[in-house]
Amino acid sequence: MALIDIFQNTLDGLTAGASYALLGVGFTLIFGVLRRANLSYGPAIMLGAYAATWVSLHTGAGLLVLFLVAVLATVLAGSYVERLCFAPHRRGPAAAAMVASFAIWMQLEELATLLLPRHLYAFPALYEGGALHFGPFSLRVESLLMLLAALAVCFVGWKALYATRFGVAVRAVIDDPRAAELSGISVGAISLRVFALASAIGGLTGFLIVASHEQVTPMLGMWSTLKGMLAMMLGGLGSLPGAVVGGLALGLIEAHSQWYLGPQFRDFIAYFLLFALLAARPPWMNTRSAY
Amino acid sequence: MDEYAIGVLTSIGLLTFVAASAYLLLIAGELSFGQQAFFGVGAYAAGIATAMFGLPLPLAILAAMLLGGLAAALVGLPALRLRGLYFAMATLAAAEMLRILFELFHWQVQVGGEAVGPDGTQGFRGIRWVFERGVEPLGFLGIVWALLAGVVLLFILVERSRLGTTIRALGEDPELAGALGVDVLRLKLGVVAAAGALAALGGALFAHHNTYIEPRNFDIMLGVHTLAYALIGGLGTVFGPLLGVALDLGLLEGTRVFQGYRMIVFGGLVALLLIWRPRGLLDERMVHWLRTRR
Repeated sequence: MALIDIFQNTLDGLTAGASYALLGVGFTLIFGVLRRANLSYGPAIMLGAYAATWVSLHTGAGLLVLFLVAVLATVLAGSYVERLCFAPHRRGPAAAAMVASFAIWMQLEELATLLLPRHLYAFPALYEGGALHFGPFSLRVESLLMLLAALAVCFVGWKALYATRFGVAVRAVIDDPRAAELSGISVGAISLRVFALASAIGGLTGFLIVASHEQVTPMLGMWSTLKGMLAMMLGGLGSLPGAVVGGLALGLIEAHSQWYLGPQFRDFIAYFLLFALLAARPPWMNTRSAY
Repeated sequence: MDEYAIGVLTSIGLLTFVAASAYLLLIAGELSFGQQAFFGVGAYAAGIATAMFGLPLPLAILAAMLLGGLAAALVGLPALRLRGLYFAMATLAAAEMLRILFELFHWQVQVGGEAVGPDGTQGFRGIRWVFERGVEPLGFLGIVWALLAGVVLLFILVERSRLGTTIRALGEDPELAGALGVDVLRLKLGVVAAAGALAALGGALFAHHNTYIEPRNFDIMLGVHTLAYALIGGLGTVFGPLLGVALDLGLLEGTRVFQGYRMIVFGGLVALLLIWRPRGLLDERMVHWLRTRR
């Protein structure tokens, strides 16, 4: 029986890991270009999910409309964050940008709760049917969709970075912002567009998460920021495939430690691993670069 | 003074201890997301000392500071080899681990016929040393602000000394400071331990003010708030963190003008303020100008 448990936990872990991977990819895009952690990434996702829920409650619109609303609202919130918290601090100290993004976190979260003040709202289900069964194992269709979305985002992101002019400009900014600026690339415009791209991925992720949980709560903002940062850090920071691996690893670790040790240890193990990884400074983690 | 004002002033004092500990790390060039955990260590340690073992409060505060400093040093030892965001993430991970340990911490003894002590997520109630000795809220406010005045005085003395200059040099450029003969790692470890003890001092007072503490009091929200207080108040003087806390608690929460929209107003103000002054209102330049003005 133990083997079946291990396999089922692995399936569940990959499911949760897919959403962490998506969050990690968004974080990594922003971090790669700006070398700054955007604490209000999660709250922007939450605002997008809340806007979609609001539309759903008031109009009963279909999933496609809700998806578009979530993406649009997240992109708007993300661009607002970039203009207010990151564009003015591009050359300044990283601490100021990070604290400013925290201040806007508070703003976005209060805005979302003013929009929908109750603690819990229902969200239309992504898929009405039941889970798929393979022998003794079960897999929710939503999880499959989440995994597919993570792979698709990764593929599209990779294409965008390595097969377009925009991608060349983004990579130039990542390598050396000053040299990029001197070659005629507008660093400000690139960072705004990267922010919008990352926010669109965030909007998609938020939509998938609330539609597969069929509910939204005010915890979504903090949860997304913490899980996204963890996935990014575990993945070595700064590489998109790394963020996907980090997210999936985080999901697997959580699922197994929850099964064997209980829910409180689930989070403990994840943080412990992050701390141990940072302390050990493995070669794939570029821990020398500041911020 | 009415009860509400006393409450707000006490909260300002208590939070300033944590904000000052974040400030101390910031001027040494480190960004910590984890000071709330040492605040928590102080709260639990002092609560255990007075409520479970009947020790007097001053002794409990000393024990709390010792334990807070030790915990911070233990976290700092591996974390200090990291820079910037990596250090911040390591402190966040350590702080969340400590918070989860508080959730798993069950240790109760019988005191006067009732079970007293930390009870996991149920929290730790009955930390009544201050109230059992008939100290009025106004008296406790006096204790908090007297201790805070002591801390501020210590900061001023240190910042005027060679040690203070060295700490700021460390924050400015650790490589250069190291090349000039400063033992960077040892000094930073000292700063981290001192900041941990300072946060623990605030925590010890917080536990006795509230009489009830629970792991949720020490989550990441507190950490990021105190960091924001230190940064908006300013990194030029220890009055910076005090100003930051006072602006939020005194002006916005205390006056209740922006009820329901407080975070929208506060968040926007902070973001705009940081564009104009990235090192806070009372930054080094402002402090220098104030000092040399005759």
